[in-house]
Amino acid sequence: MGLPLFSVGEDPGPSFLQYLDAQGVTRSLPMGVDSPHATTVVAVRAAEGVVLVGDRQATGAYIASRDVRKIEAADRFTAIAISGSAAMGMEFIRMAQLSFEHYEKMTDAVLSLEGKANYLSPLIQRNNLTTPFLVLPLLAGYDVNRRRGRVFEYDGAGGCYERSDFVTIGSGTPFAESALRLGFRDDMTIDETVELAALAVYEAGDNDPATGGPDFVRNIFPMIVTVTDAGFEELSHDETAERFRAIHERRTASGGRPGGALR
Amino acid sequence: MSMPFYVSPEQLTKDRAEFAQKGIARGRSMVATTYDKGVLLVAENPSASLNKISEIYDRIAFAGVGKYNEFDRLREAGIRWADGTGYTYSREDVDARALANYYAQYLGSMFAEGPKPLEIEILIAQLGNELRPTKLYHLAYEGTITDEERFAVLGGDADTIKQRFVDADQGTSDLAGALHHAVSALSGPDRVIPAADLEVAILEDRGARRTFTRVSDADVAELLTH
Repeated sequence: MGLPLFSVGEDPGPSFLQYLDAQGVTRSLPMGVDSPHATTVVAVRAAEGVVLVGDRQATGAYIASRDVRKIEAADRFTAIAISGSAAMGMEFIRMAQLSFEHYEKMTDAVLSLEGKANYLSPLIQRNNLTTPFLVLPLLAGYDVNRRRGRVFEYDGAGGCYERSDFVTIGSGTPFAESALRLGFRDDMTIDETVELAALAVYEAGDNDPATGGPDFVRNIFPMIVTVTDAGFEELSHDETAERFRAIHERRTASGGRPGGALR
Repeated sequence: MSMPFYVSPEQLTKDRAEFAQKGIARGRSMVATTYDKGVLLVAENPSASLNKISEIYDRIAFAGVGKYNEFDRLREAGIRWADGTGYTYSREDVDARALANYYAQYLGSMFAEGPKPLEIEILIAQLGNELRPTKLYHLAYEGTITDEERFAVLGGDADTIKQRFVDADQGTSDLAGALHHAVSALSGPDRVIPAADLEVAILEDRGARRTFTRVSDADVAELLTH
């Protein structure tokens, strides 16, 4: 590729996607290929930001992988998580990360959180309406202009909706969402929110065969991420293991019954 | 029927070079130098929003002097090239030398065949790692490319500034020392450039993937008082 120079009228501006289109970089896809998928990721608003917890399993006809990362930093204050086709989801994360950075370098300004959320809409629309590899992401982050955490969800056609409490994506959604509905309160601390979000993913892993719960045999645990005014931070492996071990021990003590209370 | 005047290639090249040099000399100069932890870029720029220095990629910075619209277009092309290459292959495959060569070809073709030569000079700075060395690629208006290890000066006043830089050079120092040195070479003995008229950026490893950072006016003033 030579130097990508454009005439004034054809210049794609700071959008990386439009630049790729101008270059003719489009991808044609074979139809009907079965690719690994399924997930549970939750993003929950807290007083000081947002908390995301996501399982680590990729499922095809069998378990395809046990240590997939479905939550990534799109930039310092933004997390993006994926459900659906793993191949498209990974590509989707890459495209989002690159697009936000590209915009920042081209214009010397950072996109607003809402700007980032809206940018993903046509990306989802294009993918889901033209390929069989559906992707449903979520976007959550700390809005530095408004000084609070915000979470956004999408429908299959790319519609973008902000939620005031939490967002869940993936096949384990019914179980995770039930737990969140019962447990969510306004202005929870980060610590309380991590506790609730981890429990939600635990429930999903317990009930949904395509969601991986804590794996004590292989020492693999769902990932836990916080995004606050300090930016995107992933909890350490030990800390994550400790959280899930605590839930697991309570559940073992009760003989597998949730017991009515949130635990 | 009128006949076009014959102009010898020597004369044509000389005229075009003179034209480009005059255009570049109208703007302010800039200095890039290595320091103990990275690369420092300092430009004299009274505008706080029209940047001469910019981030291209994780370890690559861009600086331009001369006509703003001309080098800014090349800056954008550089970012697109880098992001496109990193997306197609891998982030570690984005090499400043390749980009500098593309710029050289473009500047060269515009100088020889364009309606007018570009009135700009460009610097591509690369912060080294285990894969690649730290390099400053200096591109002149006619496409000449030179790679410097230690420092580079761009602009109409380059020779004088270069001489001042060499005369006071005490080898690699820390950031404050390098900034002092670069600014006094830019300003000369008879004037003081206020911090607000300096555009300063660095490429430095601080554990993150991206190494480019702008240094604020306040931090520049602070560093210069050391």
